[in-house]
Amino acid sequence: MTSKSGLANFFGVTALALFLVGSFVGLFVVPADGMQGDIQRLMYVHVPAAWLAFLSFFIVFLMSVLYLIQRDLRWDRVAQSSAEIGVVFTVLTLALGSMWGKPTWGVWWTWDPRLTTTAIMLAIYVGYLAIRSFADDPDKRARWAAIVGIIGFANVPIVYLSVIWWRTLHQPPSSPRSVSPEILWTLLFNVAAFTVIYVYLMMRRVRLAKLEGELEQRMAYHG
Amino acid sequence: MSSTRLNSWHVGWNSSRAQEAAITPTSDTGPAVELVGFSKRFGWNRVLRAIDLRVDRGTTLALVGPNGAGKTTLLKCLATLLQPSGGEGTVCGFDLRKEGDAIRERVGLVTVRGYVYDDLTAEENLRFSARMSGLKLGPDENRAALARVGLERVADQRVRTFSTGMRKRVVLAQLRIRPLELALLDEPYAGLDTQGMALVDEFVREFRDEGTTVIIASHQAGEATRAAEQTLILKNGKLSPMDHDEAAQSHLSFQSLGASEG
Amino acid sequence: MELLRRSWTIVWKDLLIEARTKQAFNAMVFFAALVLFIFSFALGPDTELLQQVSGGLLWVGIAFTGILSLNRTYQSEETSGGIEGLRVYPGDPRAIYLGKLFGNIIILLAVEMVLFPAAAVLFQIQLLPHALELAGVAILGTIGFSIVGTFYAALTVNLRAREVMLPLLLFPALIPMLLGAVNATTLIVVGDPMLDSGIWIRLLVAFDVIFFVISLWIFPIALEE
Repeated sequence: MTSKSGLANFFGVTALALFLVGSFVGLFVVPADGMQGDIQRLMYVHVPAAWLAFLSFFIVFLMSVLYLIQRDLRWDRVAQSSAEIGVVFTVLTLALGSMWGKPTWGVWWTWDPRLTTTAIMLAIYVGYLAIRSFADDPDKRARWAAIVGIIGFANVPIVYLSVIWWRTLHQPPSSPRSVSPEILWTLLFNVAAFTVIYVYLMMRRVRLAKLEGELEQRMAYHG
Repeated sequence: MSSTRLNSWHVGWNSSRAQEAAITPTSDTGPAVELVGFSKRFGWNRVLRAIDLRVDRGTTLALVGPNGAGKTTLLKCLATLLQPSGGEGTVCGFDLRKEGDAIRERVGLVTVRGYVYDDLTAEENLRFSARMSGLKLGPDENRAALARVGLERVADQRVRTFSTGMRKRVVLAQLRIRPLELALLDEPYAGLDTQGMALVDEFVREFRDEGTTVIIASHQAGEATRAAEQTLILKNGKLSPMDHDEAAQSHLSFQSLGASEG
Repeated sequence: MELLRRSWTIVWKDLLIEARTKQAFNAMVFFAALVLFIFSFALGPDTELLQQVSGGLLWVGIAFTGILSLNRTYQSEETSGGIEGLRVYPGDPRAIYLGKLFGNIIILLAVEMVLFPAAAVLFQIQLLPHALELAGVAILGTIGFSIVGTFYAALTVNLRAREVMLPLLLFPALIPMLLGAVNATTLIVVGDPMLDSGIWIRLLVAFDVIFFVISLWIFPIALEE
């Protein structure tokens, strides 16, 4: 017990430390981008958040498949936790992307393939969490959620490709500009920091989910 | 206690149907139903708890108990409509979890309401059942099946216009269109008049003559046990034996019994 | 094949009941026409604008109408004891999915045969010169819609808030299909100088194949109790 909690705490402290370092470097140390100015610094949070949003969803997919094969509720708990955390980071990604877009492109929203796919992914996440709220039976809930999670995830690459085609037919894609090594390294560092944050949050949330499950069980038998 | 070990494919009303349905006969030995530690729960609600049951082929068994005891659940589990939550089970020698398809080929289920479409005629309902079971019924055989249950005059009327008893007869007709190794009857007497109940008894007798195993679930102890050879009580998800002759004479309905015991 | 025969039996049963009660078809046609009318009304008399967006409006109309059909798909089993009534028979339970799928496709295509002409009138677009290509797009799009819709309908049929859950789950999943159908239709109708419609049709085909395989594969799990 205490060792697990200790491990989580270790991750938490590490995450916080990495995040602070990364933010400091991103905000103050690395020189601003020549063309975009300081607003570009949003990238140091936007990109890691996006990475986490997709990583979380991939974990949901993986856990869903594992659950359907083994029918162990543990996998379902991890999937649920990952979905909740993923929603937060998806919203963050969209918000930051929007904030970045206004000064850069002049609009709050654009049908850029990645932004659009992220928005749709958010809808799929919400659907995943919503369907969970309709089943009291934990096995049924896990089964439905797993199905939605698998199909939802399978849809993401297809949506992405379709939107790319859709946009490229109307306008040429924004070509990836070359980035200076300092920016790149800071970015990667922040991605690592956010990944540690994810692990920490997952450890806490999964443990909470386990307790919720036990509570549910007890209330059902004695309630 | 089992009845004769007749191979059920060569006697009875629908012997020719057996060839057409191309069901491979299973061995004569081996019980019709074998459950070990079998349990079923819906979420946290444990309906069936650690049931051990063995029913020899050709037996007619009455399963009595109060409403909500789990009789319907048990029957639906045997028909593979519900997946087991725990334990092991075989029906006609086939595993409940993995060989459901083989089981469904050999098992027939009659539920309280029956799976009947109101907007189709009796004849069309029968045709649907037959085709879904992999059979091809000619119009004559269709009519004959309906005549067997006394519905030949209303064969082309929509089931929506039928009384409960008539609806039940359609369900019984559906039961008899193909050869079965196991017949599961859930509250077969409910909603029937004396004629209808006699019809059910007749069917049970025919099943027995063909060597088909029959399980009748009912909360009315008297009727069910009258038609059966053995009786078991299902209460709070557990099985216990009941003195058969005592049950047959009993006019007790388990509804009252269940109520008094809470 | 036994699977197809049993699927077809389910289609027969559903179409027979539908023909007798006429519940769904009439309501769907009326609703679809109404939706298109409201769109055209809301957008005003600008013919060129209407023509440009006709593809989008048409497919949104079809999607909304299709949802009505999907809700009914498994609901029609309710009075006869639910989906159990179909699961109790021997054979692969996927026959249920295929049967419901074919039924949905047929009914939706029937509605579209009224809808497309209505759109031609309301949006002032010419359909006849390209009737064959449009039919192809309509069929592919309808199949795609029905494949995913029939599957999610099975999943949500017993939920309390199914009227909300079905669209919530379905529409994100339909985005590629809608993009394909809308763009292909618009290009065919308005003019396709660069022959781009091919890409969209290919997208539709890919979507249909991928989701058909996935849905068919996972369906028995969705049915478990």
